[in-house]
Amino acid sequence: MSESTGVIHDIGYRHYDGARLGRGHAVLALTVHSLRGVFGLGRTARAKIIPFLLVGVMMLPAVVSIAIMAVVKQKGLGYTEYAAIMQAVLAIFLASQAPYTVAPDLRFRVLPLYLSRPVTLVDYVGAKLAAMTTAMFLLLAVPLTVLFIGEMLIDLPGDTPTAAYLTSMAGAVCYAVLLACIGVAIASFTPRRGLGVASVIAFYLLTSAVSTVLFATLESMGNDTAAAWAWLINPFFLVDAAVQVGIFGAKPAQSSIYPSGAGTAVAIVIMLALIALSVTALIMRYRKAASR
Amino acid sequence: MTILATEGLTRRFPRVTALDQLTVTVGPGVTGLVGANGAGKSTLIKILLGLLEPSGGTAQVLGMDVTTRGAEIRRVVGYMPEHDCLPPDLSATEFTVHMAQMSGLTRTAARERAADVLRHVGLYEERYRAMGGYSTGMKQRVKLAQALVHDPRLVLLDEPTNGLDPQGRDEMLALIRRIGSEFGISVLVTSHLLGELERVCDHVIVIDGGKLLRSSAIGEFTQSTQTVTVEVEEGQDALAARLTELGETVTFHGRMLLVHVRAPETFDTLRDAVCELDLSLIRMEQGRQRIEDVFREPVNV
Repeated sequence: MSESTGVIHDIGYRHYDGARLGRGHAVLALTVHSLRGVFGLGRTARAKIIPFLLVGVMMLPAVVSIAIMAVVKQKGLGYTEYAAIMQAVLAIFLASQAPYTVAPDLRFRVLPLYLSRPVTLVDYVGAKLAAMTTAMFLLLAVPLTVLFIGEMLIDLPGDTPTAAYLTSMAGAVCYAVLLACIGVAIASFTPRRGLGVASVIAFYLLTSAVSTVLFATLESMGNDTAAAWAWLINPFFLVDAAVQVGIFGAKPAQSSIYPSGAGTAVAIVIMLALIALSVTALIMRYRKAASR
Repeated sequence: MTILATEGLTRRFPRVTALDQLTVTVGPGVTGLVGANGAGKSTLIKILLGLLEPSGGTAQVLGMDVTTRGAEIRRVVGYMPEHDCLPPDLSATEFTVHMAQMSGLTRTAARERAADVLRHVGLYEERYRAMGGYSTGMKQRVKLAQALVHDPRLVLLDEPTNGLDPQGRDEMLALIRRIGSEFGISVLVTSHLLGELERVCDHVIVIDGGKLLRSSAIGEFTQSTQTVTVEVEEGQDALAARLTELGETVTFHGRMLLVHVRAPETFDTLRDAVCELDLSLIRMEQGRQRIEDVFREPVNV
C-alpha cells in the first residue's frame, strides 16, 4: 500500500445520518436507471449505437414531412398512421432494448440485491415496465411532436392538426404500454439477451405475418367482414383499431378496414387483456426467480 | 442488546427441511455462522431479510419481526450474496451509487457514500472501470461495498471469502473485523471454514442439517477443544504410552499424536516426556480447529 492510501484510511468510517427516503424514491431511481440504460446512457459507446440509430430513423419521416409541407405546401404523413407505418422500427427498438431492462439482472443475478432492499418484487417489475413504456412513448411521441410543431410553424391553410395530434398522443401512450408489457414479458423469460431479442422480434414477425396472410386469404374468399378481424392480430393495428380509430374516430392506418360495430369494444378488450396477461406473466416469472 | 433472535425457526421445502427448530440469539459484533453446504445458512439469511416465509417459529432482526416488517429490516440491513451479482458493463462507482439510491439515499448522498465505502473496502482508481474486467478479489470488494453503502446497522455476509487467494482472504477477514469494531456495524458472516471465522468473530454459531449444533463465544469455543499436534521421528507409541501414564488424553492421527490440552501444564508434560524418552521432535503445533471437530465432538462427549 502506498503512503497516500494510508493517509486516506485515517479519515475513518463515517456514519450516514441523512435522509432515508421511501420505496417511491427507490422505484423512481430504478426507473430512471433502466430508462437511461435503454438508450445506452451510462453504458459503453457501443450500447448507444442501436437505440440512437433507431431514434434517428423514427425522426426521418417527420423531418421529411415537414420539408414537404414547407416546399410543396402539401400535407405529409398523418399523425395517427405514423406508428403503423413505422411499426418495423418500433418493433426492432422494442426487441433490441426490452431484453436489456430485464435480462442482465437475471443473468448476472443482480435481482437478489434489489430484493434485499426496501423495494418489493412488484415495485421492481413496475419500474422496469415504466422505464420501457417511457422509452417507447418517447420514441413515438418525439417525432410526432416535432411534426406537429413543424406543421404549426408552416401554418398550412385548412384545419389545424391539433385534434389529430392529440389522438396520436393518446395512441402513443397505448402503443407504449402494450408494446412495453409484451416486450418485457417475453424478454424476461430468458436470462440471455440475444435469445430475448430473437423472441420479441419473432413475436412481432409472427403476428404481423399471420395477420397479413389471414387477411389476404379471407379477402380473396370474399369474406370481407372476417378479413377485417384479421388485422387485430397485429398489435400495431390492434391499438390503432381500439384507440385511434375506435375511440377517437381517426382514419384507419394504411387504408385497412377494421371490424365495425362491436369491433372497437373487442379490440379494447383484447388490448387490455394482453396487457394484463403480460403483467401477470411477468410477476409470476419474477416470483419464481426470487424464490430460487 | 440483541441484534437478531430466532425462536423455533423452521423452514420446510417440498423435499427438504432447510431449518429445523432453530433457536439462536446474536448480539452486537461479529458473529460467524458455520455449516457445511446445505446446512441452511443461506435459507436463514433469506428469512432474516424477510424474503422467505418461515414455515414455523419466529425470527426478529433489530427487534423487528421478519414476517411483518421485512421492508423496514431491509432498509437498515446490508446483504452480500454468495454468488456473483455484478453487471459487467457498469463501473463499481455507478453500481454502488445506484444501489445506495435503491436503499433510499438521495443521488448526492449516494455518490458521497459510494466514494467513501469503495475507499474503505480498498478500491481506488479501478472503481471507474467496467466491472466485467475485475478480479475475484475486486468483485468481492464491490459486493461488500454495496452491502455497506447505505450505512446499515447489520450486514449479512454470505461466504465473503469464497474464491479468494490466501492474501485476499486475509484482507477480507481484516475488513470484516474492522466493520465490526471500527465501523460499529454488526456482522453475521457465514463460512464453511471454522478456522477462518475464529480469527474475526466474537461469537460462533454452528448449524448442521438446519439444526443448531452449537452457539458460543469464541473464547469458549477454542478452549474446550484445544489440542496440540505432536510429530516425532520414531517412537510415537512410547510417547503415547508415557503421556497416558501421566494422565493426558492422546489419540493417534496418522503419524501424528493429538494431545488434549487440559491446562497450560500439558505443554510442559509433553516437552518433558519427549526429552525423557530422547525422541527427535519434528513439530509441535497448536491444533487448528476444523468444522469436522465440532461435528465430531457431541459423539465424544
